[in-house]
Amino acid sequence: MNSYKILMIEDEENICNFMKMTFETNGYQILFANTGKNGMTMFSSHHPNLLILDLGLPDVDGLEIIKEIRQKSEVPIIVLSARTDEKDKVEALDLGANDYVTKPFGTSELLARVRATLRNCRIQEGGVGTREKFCLYDMVIQYEARKVSIAGKEVRLTQTEYNIVEVLALHAGKVLTYAEIVKKVWGYSDSGSVKKLQVNMANIRKKFGEKPGEYHYILNELGVGYRMNDDKW
Amino acid sequence: MNKYYKCVKNTFRMLVILCIAFVISLIVEKFLGASTLIPAIMALAIFMISRITDGFLYGIIASVLSVLLLNFAFMLPYFAFNFSISENIISAVIMLVITIMTSTLTTQLKWQEKIRTESEKEKMRGNLLRAVSHDLRTPLTAIYGSGSTIMENYKQLSEEQLLQLAKGICTDSQWLMRMVENILSITRIDNEGVKITKTSTVLEELIDSVLIRFKKTYPDQKIIVDIPQEFISIPMDAVLIEQVLVNILENAMQHATGMTEIKLSVYVMGDKAVFEIKDNGCGIEKERLKGLFKDYFEIKEGPIDNQKKSMGIGLAVCASIIKAHNGVITASNRKEGGCCFRFALDMERNEDE
Repeated sequence: MNSYKILMIEDEENICNFMKMTFETNGYQILFANTGKNGMTMFSSHHPNLLILDLGLPDVDGLEIIKEIRQKSEVPIIVLSARTDEKDKVEALDLGANDYVTKPFGTSELLARVRATLRNCRIQEGGVGTREKFCLYDMVIQYEARKVSIAGKEVRLTQTEYNIVEVLALHAGKVLTYAEIVKKVWGYSDSGSVKKLQVNMANIRKKFGEKPGEYHYILNELGVGYRMNDDKW
Repeated sequence: MNKYYKCVKNTFRMLVILCIAFVISLIVEKFLGASTLIPAIMALAIFMISRITDGFLYGIIASVLSVLLLNFAFMLPYFAFNFSISENIISAVIMLVITIMTSTLTTQLKWQEKIRTESEKEKMRGNLLRAVSHDLRTPLTAIYGSGSTIMENYKQLSEEQLLQLAKGICTDSQWLMRMVENILSITRIDNEGVKITKTSTVLEELIDSVLIRFKKTYPDQKIIVDIPQEFISIPMDAVLIEQVLVNILENAMQHATGMTEIKLSVYVMGDKAVFEIKDNGCGIEKERLKGLFKDYFEIKEGPIDNQKKSMGIGLAVCASIIKAHNGVITASNRKEGGCCFRFALDMERNEDE
């Protein structure tokens, strides 16, 4: 039993029904709002630990809700969206959503994302400096020494490549959009920077010794960005 | 921007044709002395202009210009305007009437053509809808049946039976999801004609996403991947091309009897990236090969064999996606057995800075 309180803004009653069951059997407390307006009032009165937000609401654009909430709160937000709208996903993430889950989704997938997001926020609150290293399967990243090793062997990355890996590792489990990574690694962005990032990523994967279909350290979110895998789901 | 370009293009065409007609008229006048030919040449020029430009405007402008030209250059007094001679005015009016009528006629023709293609599209959409709703009915019936069985008899059912029913619901809904993804892909193309937004997509990442999606449905089938070592970026609608590859792979899983091996390879040929999916299954019957990609849209009314057609939509979707990318998808039987699906996409022109 954990004591997390989740607020879900979703207008489909059927989806709410099975969500209620899944989350309650997994020890979460879950509240529902069927419109954006209700959601906002419930958000301010109940102070949930996490918000699950459907982008297609009857009264308000989901993106507006993210904007409004981000003005006053850093509560993690997971967005539910349709598969075909990468633009919406990117926009939601850039506005400050922490993650998205594509409809239709399985309950285990959503639960995993919720866990990852909550854990991530705890870590962020604890501050970056408190972590010395990041472990995932047989990969170890030592932040202090700026070293990455796989199965005990050091992987020789360039400065840029290391910076990319580090940014992703610091936000493990969260999708970072191309624009976000570019901003964090290079500090500025121009028309060619996404491509620069993609080329670097291809090199990183080559050095990790991974083939397409088997990427298990850094995952692709096609057309959106990258995500460092989160082993502990 | 587009409108501006169109305007310039039409004006340019109009002026070029008028100039040519004018030059020809001058030559005819000079060497043959046959001034009776000149109105005919002008009428022809205007006819051509209204054929190849959009709308009425250019035809009308051209006709007015040609009347002025005729009056100016070829009617007494030469190289001066003279609207006082009634003969000149009447010929001017006749020219105007002719040109306006041809303009109207050709514009109407173009309009009708547009309506015809529109209605063809509408028909295709109707066929698709009919076929799809038929295909959707089977899994929906199963889901509804299982759901209501659980609801009405949950006390009598054993745990095992309950699980089995729930499992059936999951499988059928997954099938429905795949179907819906396909339909969505089509509407995504149809939305604004055949316009799609292409973004540079890294080949390795595309293949990775395809394989991961495929593995979710068929965890045990291994796919041999053969793609170039170097970094390749291809402009495409990644979601749609992913759909194409997944559809072809799933098609092989469902229909290639005796298949043990699927190979997905990509190679560069000139300025194109060629995608190939080969299997070593039973191949495709010759009669089916021809209409493989369009069967689905041309189903006549009447009962449809559910099993056989259900994947038809997948391949039809592939064809329209590739077509929207200015490519062609082909299927052929291999000599060694099994079949080969192939399509090509344009690569990025050059390394943009």
